[in-house]
Amino acid sequence: MDMIDYPDGEQFSPGHVACAGCAEALSLRVILNTLGADAIAVVPPSCTAVICGGYPLSSVSIPVQHTTLESAAASASGVKRSLNALGKTNTTVVCLAGDGGTYDIGLQALSSAAERNEDILYVCFDNEGYMNTGGQKSSSTPLNAITGSTPAGKLSRKKNLVEILAAHRIPYIATCSPAHLSDMSAKIKKAASIRGTKVIMVIIPCLPGWGVADDAAVKTARMAVDSGVFPLYEVEDGVDYTMTIDTRNQSVNAYLKQQKRYRNLSDKNISDIQADVDKEWEYLLGRARK
Amino acid sequence: MDRQPSPLWTNSSSLLRKTGTWRSAKPEYILSPSPCLGACPVNGRIAEWIGLLMEGDVKGAWLTLVDNNPFPAIAGRICHHPCETVCNRQQMDEAVGICSLERHVGDVAMREGWSFPVPEKEGEKSVAVIGGGPAGLSAAYQLRRLGIKVNLLEQQPQLGGLLRYGIPAYRLDKKIVDYEIRRIIDMGVDVELSAEVDDQHALQKLHDEFDAVYIATGASQSKALPGLDYSQSWVIDSAEFLSATNAGEPCSLGSDLVVIGGGSAAIDVARTARRLGKSVKLLSLEPEHLLPAQKTEVDEAIEEGIEFVTAAQMQSVSKDGGSLILECIRINFNQGEERGKFTINPVPGSEFQLRTDAIIPSIGQDADTSRWQSLLDSDGTVVKTDDCWQTSTQGIFAGGDVASMDRFVTQAVGMGKQAAAEIGYYLEQLLSGSPVMNANETEFSEINTNYFPAAARNKQADLEVDDRLQNFSEVQQPLAEDHALAEASRCFSCGSCIYCDNCYLYCPDMAITKLKHGYEVKSDYCKGCGLCVAECPTGSVVMLEEGQGTA
Repeated sequence: MDMIDYPDGEQFSPGHVACAGCAEALSLRVILNTLGADAIAVVPPSCTAVICGGYPLSSVSIPVQHTTLESAAASASGVKRSLNALGKTNTTVVCLAGDGGTYDIGLQALSSAAERNEDILYVCFDNEGYMNTGGQKSSSTPLNAITGSTPAGKLSRKKNLVEILAAHRIPYIATCSPAHLSDMSAKIKKAASIRGTKVIMVIIPCLPGWGVADDAAVKTARMAVDSGVFPLYEVEDGVDYTMTIDTRNQSVNAYLKQQKRYRNLSDKNISDIQADVDKEWEYLLGRARK
Repeated sequence: MDRQPSPLWTNSSSLLRKTGTWRSAKPEYILSPSPCLGACPVNGRIAEWIGLLMEGDVKGAWLTLVDNNPFPAIAGRICHHPCETVCNRQQMDEAVGICSLERHVGDVAMREGWSFPVPEKEGEKSVAVIGGGPAGLSAAYQLRRLGIKVNLLEQQPQLGGLLRYGIPAYRLDKKIVDYEIRRIIDMGVDVELSAEVDDQHALQKLHDEFDAVYIATGASQSKALPGLDYSQSWVIDSAEFLSATNAGEPCSLGSDLVVIGGGSAAIDVARTARRLGKSVKLLSLEPEHLLPAQKTEVDEAIEEGIEFVTAAQMQSVSKDGGSLILECIRINFNQGEERGKFTINPVPGSEFQLRTDAIIPSIGQDADTSRWQSLLDSDGTVVKTDDCWQTSTQGIFAGGDVASMDRFVTQAVGMGKQAAAEIGYYLEQLLSGSPVMNANETEFSEINTNYFPAAARNKQADLEVDDRLQNFSEVQQPLAEDHALAEASRCFSCGSCIYCDNCYLYCPDMAITKLKHGYEVKSDYCKGCGLCVAECPTGSVVMLEEGQGTA
C-alpha cells in the first residue's frame, strides 16, 4: 500500500471552527506541521482567518497576523523585513490566503511582492469562490460553475494565476491537493528552503460551496487531479515546468457530476469542458517537456 | 522581556472549544470478516496472516494460520481455494494468490522447524479418534491444544489417509505429508497403526473406554459403475491404483488406458497413469467446462497429453483379441439444481468406439456406514450427525467424508476443527476463542483502491511438461521470497486495520489518537465528517450514528 508520510508536531489544534470534513483545515494541518515552530503566518480575511482564530482563541501555535484583504503579500513582506532587521533570518513568513484574497483583491500586493522577489511563502487555498461569505464567484471560479452571484453558471473561464506568477519569474510555484498529503508536505518543505517569493496553490473542494458530501473533499480533490482538471506540477524560475503526475486516468465527467455547483451542465457543456481540459493538459505537458 | 498582552492578541487555545458537539455520527473501528474468511473451509483469518506476512512477520503469519489449520504446507499445495474465488481484489485486477502464500508460509515453517507446543497442562479427559486422514488429524491437533489426551487409530500402516494414499506425489510430495503429520503427533498423540474398528462391538468398546469418540474414517470405497464387470482383470479400482502407485508398487496394465470420471480423483488417476508411460483417455459425462475437477488440473492434464472425451457415456465393453472396444455415445448433460442431481440424454446416431487395454472407473467414493449400523444412524451414504457433529449415540462424534458429502481436503480439516471444539465443549474444556468479528463481510465498495497500485498477480511456475512426465516431482513450483512478499502486499486486508495512519493523517480536526496498536476517536473534537472512513483503505472503520452500538 502507498503510505502517507508527513510529520505531525501538533502545530494545529482541534477545536477550530472549520466545517466538518474541511480540506482547508486538513491542508493547514499539513502545512503548519511541515513548517514547524519557527514561522509566522499572515492571514487576510478568508476561511483560514476563521479557522485560525475566533477571538480570543487560536488553533495555531505560531504567531498569526491578521491583515486586510488587499495586503497579505505586502504585510508579509514587512514582517519578513522586520525579522531580518532583528537578525531572525531563518523564520519562515507564510501568507495563508484564499482565492479571493489572491486572484482578485490581493493580486496587486502579490504581484508587487513577486516583482521585488520578497522572501515569503504564499499559500493560496483555492476553493474557487468567496465561500466564507456565502459563496460568491471569484476570478478563480471555473466556467459554468453556479455560485451565489452566478446563479446560471459562470460565463467566463478560470483565471490562470500560475501563468501570471510565472511571468514574474519567481523561483518557485507549485500546485498541491489535499488528496496528496506527502506531496504537499514535500513541496512546502522545498519552498521553505528557497529564498525569494514562493507560491503554492492548493485545490480545496469546498463542501457547501461546491455541493459535495462531508466525507468527499479528499475524493473530489483526487478526481480533480486524476481527470487533469487540476494538474499537480511545479514551475521553477518561471520557465522550468515539471509535472508531479503526468498521467490522467479518468474523464472530467465523474468529477463534475458529483458537485452540485455543476448541476445544470448540459452534455455540450461537459464536452466543452473536457475539450478545454484536454487542451490545457497538452499545453502543460508540452511546457514540461521543453 | 516583560510584556503585557495586548487585548488584540488571542490568549487561549482552541482546545477549549469542544467541537465534538457538532457531531451526529462517530467513527467506530471494527474488525469485519473479509470475504475470503467466509469462504474458507477452516475459517482461516486470511487477511490477518497475510497482513503479518506483509510486515515480514512470517512466524506470526504461521501462528495465525495454524490456529485453524495445522497443514499450511499441504493446504497451500492442494486446497481448492474458494477464498480466491471471492477475493475483492479480482474486481480491480486479479485475486490475490492466497493459496501460493499459504504454501510459502508452510514451507518456511518446515525449513525453520517451527513446532506446536505440547500442552502445558494435561487434562483428565481422553478421546479416541478413528481415522488418521485430514479430518481425524485436524481434530487430534485441536483436541491436544485443549490438553485432551488423544488416541488415534488408523487402519492403514501409515497415517495421512487421502493425503498419503489418494493424492499423487506430483501434487503433494509425501515428505510434506510426513512432516506436517509428525508435527501433530509430536504434541503427544498416541497412535495405533493398522488398527481396525470393524464393527459396532469394537466401537462400543472404545465408547466405554474413552470420554468421547471421533469417527473420521473417510470414504474409501469406490462407487461402482453400473453394468461394468469388476471381476475382469482389465478393470482396475481407482483408489487401489492410486494407493499402489503412491506406495511405489504400480499395478501392471497395458499401454492404453481409459479413465472414466470427471472429478479431481479421475484427473489424478489419468495423470498418474501418464507418468507411468501410458497413453490415457478420460471419458466423462460432463462437458469440459462443467467438469467437477479444478480448471488448473484439467489444463495441466491436457498439457500432459491426456485426451479428454467429454459429454460422452460408455454403453458396453467387448473384447477384441488382446484389446477392449468401448461402445460409447455422445450425450446432452444437464447439470441440475443440486450437485450430483444431473440428467443425461444420449444423442441418437452419435455412437462411436474407443479402443483400449484397460479401464479405471473413478466416479467417486462412498463411505462405509454399514459396519456400525446398529450404533449409528446413517442416511445410507453418510453417518448422520447433528449441528454439533454428534452422531445418534451420545459421546460419539463424526466428521469428514464419512459424515458429509463435502469432499475437499480442507473441508475435512475444517470439520475436524469444528468437531474438536464441540467435543471440547462436551467435555467441558472450552476453547479459547478467536477475535470476535463484529460486523458484516467487507464489500469491494468499502475498499479505497486508490491506495493500492495496480499490480499483476505473482504466479507460481509449473514444471515443464517434458520434465513432469519423467517422474512424480511436484508440478507446481513455490513462489520466490520476493514474489511472495509482493503478492502479500496486493492484499486489501479487507476489514482488518493495517495501521496505515490514514484515518489519523486525514482528520482535519486532529480527533484521532494513535495508540500502540490501533486508534481512538477524541469525542470532544470529532465533528463526524467521515473522512477517516472514506479514506480507510481496508474498510475497517465505519460511521455510526451517536448512541448506536456495533451489532
